[in-house]
Amino acid sequence: MNISFTINGQPAQVDVPEDTPMLWVIRDVLNLQGTKFGCGKAACGACTIHVDGDAVRSCAFSAKFADGKDITTIEGLSSDGKLHPVQQAWVDEVVPQCGYCQPGFIMATAAMLDKIPNPTDEDIDDNIVNVCRCATYYRMRKAIHKAAEISNENI
Amino acid sequence: MTKNKFPLLFALLIGIVLVASAYSLETATRDEAMSEEVSEAFDKMMLVIAHKRCVNCHPSGDRPRQGEDSHIHLFNVQRGKEGHGKFGLKCKTCHQQENNLKAGVPGAPHWHLAPRSMAWEGLSRVEIARSMINPENNGDRSLKEIEKHLTEDELVLWAFNPGVDQEGNPREKPPVSEEDFIAAVKTWMDAGAPIPEE
Amino acid sequence: MNNSKNKKGVTRRKFLIGSSIGVGVLLGAGYLSRNLIRRYIASMVNEADMPYNNNVGPSVWFEITADNKIILHSPKVEMGQGTFTGLAQIAAEELEVDLSNINVVHASTATSNIDPFATGGSTSISGLWQPLRELAATMREMLKIQAAQIWDTERSSISAADGQLSFGSKSMSYGELVAQVKEWEVPDTPPLKDVSSYKYVGKPIPRIDLMDKVIGAPIFGMDATMPDMLYGAVVRPDRIGATFGGADVSAARDMPGVVKIVEEEDFIGVVATSRMAAEEAKNAIKVDWKTDKNWTSAEIVEMLEVGQGNPIVIQKQGDPADHIEDSQQVITAEYRSPIGAHAQIEPNGSVSSVTDEGATIKMSTQVVKITRKEVAKRLGMDEEDVVIEPTYLGGGFGRRLHTPNAIQTAVMSKAVGKPVASFYTRKEEFQNDTFRPPTHHVLKAVMTEDGKIDTIEHNVSSGDVMFGSALVPGFVQPVVGADVGAWRGGMIQYEAIPNFHAISWRVKLPFATSWWRSLGLLANTFAIECFLDELAVQTKQDPVQFRLDHIQDDDRGYRLKEVIKAAAKRAGYRDEVVDGVAMGFAASTDANTPVAQVAAVAIVDDEIKVLKVTCVIDPGLAVNPDQVRAQCEGSIIMGMSAAMYEKMEVVDGQLYPVIYGPYRMALMKDAPKKIDVEILQNAETPGAVGEPPLGPIGAAIANAIFRLTGERRREMPLVK
Repeated sequence: MNISFTINGQPAQVDVPEDTPMLWVIRDVLNLQGTKFGCGKAACGACTIHVDGDAVRSCAFSAKFADGKDITTIEGLSSDGKLHPVQQAWVDEVVPQCGYCQPGFIMATAAMLDKIPNPTDEDIDDNIVNVCRCATYYRMRKAIHKAAEISNENI
Repeated sequence: MTKNKFPLLFALLIGIVLVASAYSLETATRDEAMSEEVSEAFDKMMLVIAHKRCVNCHPSGDRPRQGEDSHIHLFNVQRGKEGHGKFGLKCKTCHQQENNLKAGVPGAPHWHLAPRSMAWEGLSRVEIARSMINPENNGDRSLKEIEKHLTEDELVLWAFNPGVDQEGNPREKPPVSEEDFIAAVKTWMDAGAPIPEE
Repeated sequence: MNNSKNKKGVTRRKFLIGSSIGVGVLLGAGYLSRNLIRRYIASMVNEADMPYNNNVGPSVWFEITADNKIILHSPKVEMGQGTFTGLAQIAAEELEVDLSNINVVHASTATSNIDPFATGGSTSISGLWQPLRELAATMREMLKIQAAQIWDTERSSISAADGQLSFGSKSMSYGELVAQVKEWEVPDTPPLKDVSSYKYVGKPIPRIDLMDKVIGAPIFGMDATMPDMLYGAVVRPDRIGATFGGADVSAARDMPGVVKIVEEEDFIGVVATSRMAAEEAKNAIKVDWKTDKNWTSAEIVEMLEVGQGNPIVIQKQGDPADHIEDSQQVITAEYRSPIGAHAQIEPNGSVSSVTDEGATIKMSTQVVKITRKEVAKRLGMDEEDVVIEPTYLGGGFGRRLHTPNAIQTAVMSKAVGKPVASFYTRKEEFQNDTFRPPTHHVLKAVMTEDGKIDTIEHNVSSGDVMFGSALVPGFVQPVVGADVGAWRGGMIQYEAIPNFHAISWRVKLPFATSWWRSLGLLANTFAIECFLDELAVQTKQDPVQFRLDHIQDDDRGYRLKEVIKAAAKRAGYRDEVVDGVAMGFAASTDANTPVAQVAAVAIVDDEIKVLKVTCVIDPGLAVNPDQVRAQCEGSIIMGMSAAMYEKMEVVDGQLYPVIYGPYRMALMKDAPKKIDVEILQNAETPGAVGEPPLGPIGAAIANAIFRLTGERRREMPLVK
């Protein structure tokens, strides 16, 4: 099936079986490896992308539903060489350990901050439910509050 | 001996009269008759509506349930303001417009939680049925609109095509087919949506 | 290395090269008693004394580019533990370069800088501390020697600073010099700088791999690609003990995208043009898996019973058996821990390209050398013709201490004549893991009249950690006769107790068990430290002072006492529940690094919640205090996850669960909102960091739960 969409601001067109998980379209066809595979069952969140501004787990999102949509991956989060506030906060707080799950968390956090610009700890508990085996949650929480600060300063 | 029996008999008589009048009061307020056909239709309809495939997303609290054992939805998923999840963890993060057979995630158009007014968790069949036709609970819908909702809404009818779980095992369907369900709803509605005794 | 047939003396000497245990002592001990050997080896493993020796010169470790950057080819892999950053800090000091000019990469085996053992056991920084500084200092001198030749002067007249060599008014960057070098001259190892003069070591430098990890750079095994790559899927068993009884591949052969079905004696793989096509074809293959029986959890638990099998004494002081036998009042308690999954987010797999000339494999692995050897053997090639290019790991935790999946992708690549990428599914990861073995513990104690421990005994029955591992030379196992990894943390660290012993009961389980971060430390510390708490409470003593009273007066004892005192003080430890918050205390020593923790626990919304953990660690010299802190934070939450929630079961012969969620792990909402880490440095060289903080957390939480609820929970997971 021919599918057309925008990805990280650029138009794209692919021809894949319509139920191919978007994760593999992004990774194997478009060669954007930042979005990760962890489970393929929408349980871990490592595959999180943005579709029309909402967080979506791309392993459970069939390619056919991407038609006509505006997709953002981790590669598209920074603009003009400047890190997204969440990425900047992640760097400031030295969050990553192995780093494999981090893009998923960063995407989920960016989507949350878009809707909840000043999250409380409870908001964070309720909205950030990805799995990190290295368990970097402690620094992530600090980074999320920092990202909110950076975002608010930028406005 | 007769002297002692008299109060007892009298009490019995009063009792019978009271019960009889209570019964006739009940039937008098309902004003409907449940033929066997309609009664069967009601039973069929409720077999679907009270099934876990439906009740899992008609919870009384703020968390959906999931699975054959109706456990609380994992990963802290919650109702959110409008039943579409918290703003950073919307249902559509994982659930799409149709079942995803690779990931084992169920899906249907506008996947979300029924509002609290439509909570069915812990209710009996009759209580659910009553709630369903009560405009205060059902989003101010008329009987006709409820009939349309039950027989045409894609999220409702998802129950008959619930897909597979993350291991590829098919989810249990309600014990009534989609056609029989739709027919049962129509039969029941045509009879005026009568609510039987418990 | 199955040398059990060789003369015992020779093989032991090989095994002990470089070890701190004198060969003479050991041979002498061997003459006296096999038990003593076991105890020496056990203590060697417990102290993670694995010195570094791969005979590769400085110019292999440090590649100097024309634009004056240093590329450090690391034989250790980076799996989140911060090793690359630490190595860069260490190298920068003696190399005389700015840290920002060092880039650390995974050494391809083609460079010949290959780790002789593995990345793991918390040995990367501690093991390379001395060798890497020497290598860097030697490299610097090698550059000076060349400069001296070019400027026709003495080496001692050359100065090196900030990546520049100078002699009077002449100067040249390292990069400019290297271009002119025809042959390196390697001097004797020069003296090293004083640690107190270091600019980078000891500072909380931000990790050097941060940027790649926040922009999603394709640095992991699963991100590897090769031109014209195809995709492979390997059929794997889902049942314990299943053996391959043949397969019907007819349905798969003609499916879309299928290039070839590779049928070997020990596996079947599908190669196809896309990942989806390979998976779908794989699912269409009908395998006849033969199983003798369908195991259940109950049967596994039954196998783990102290008292079953051969007991091996791994530690002994005084006369513990007699004292227990003679006592009328032996206090006893039992503890259990479950099967644990690694559950690292990046699945195992590899990308291989095999041609007539050789093989190239890109993959996440903790055992580069063994993997190369296994692939070479299978392909019938020389080891030098198999090149492993290690990648960043999306989690290691011991899961990748054996990575035979490289054999499968290599064989598939050879069969189709193109590169093949093949990775496990998440279900396959869960069902083919080499799990943390379940354990059963029985502890016994005899108290004196004034409330001191007179005798203590720790029995642990466990599945294997090291036995059958490709890492452990075959000859070790008959000599030792038991599993040293399972003992980690199992010894009594309170050596002022007059009589004690630790006894291991080895159980061979029907599924693979192996190394899981900190090995036996989590379960063993849980049992011992909960028991200590029970003894303290029973004799109405403060649990902190109780521990201090039983620690011996020596260097190790001093360091343990210091972390215990500091943790109690920092946390404001108290026995009473205050405002619904209870505290629990525990301490452990692992690989010579003592750690003490206090967990503050409350009930919130009907759930046990860990609100705060205070942690004091003494890793010796902290090369990067911020990374030490990060390893503590991560270990604490990972340990808490395993202690409170995680459990694998055996259902109808299959290991379950097979997905995150049902395999419950700590999420953001479960992590303590405060983790307070204090670092003591009461030893001069860097010691273990990556695993020791996992020790105390289970017991600290359980001891807090006791104070909160009155209930002694003696089984992990603590939350049902």
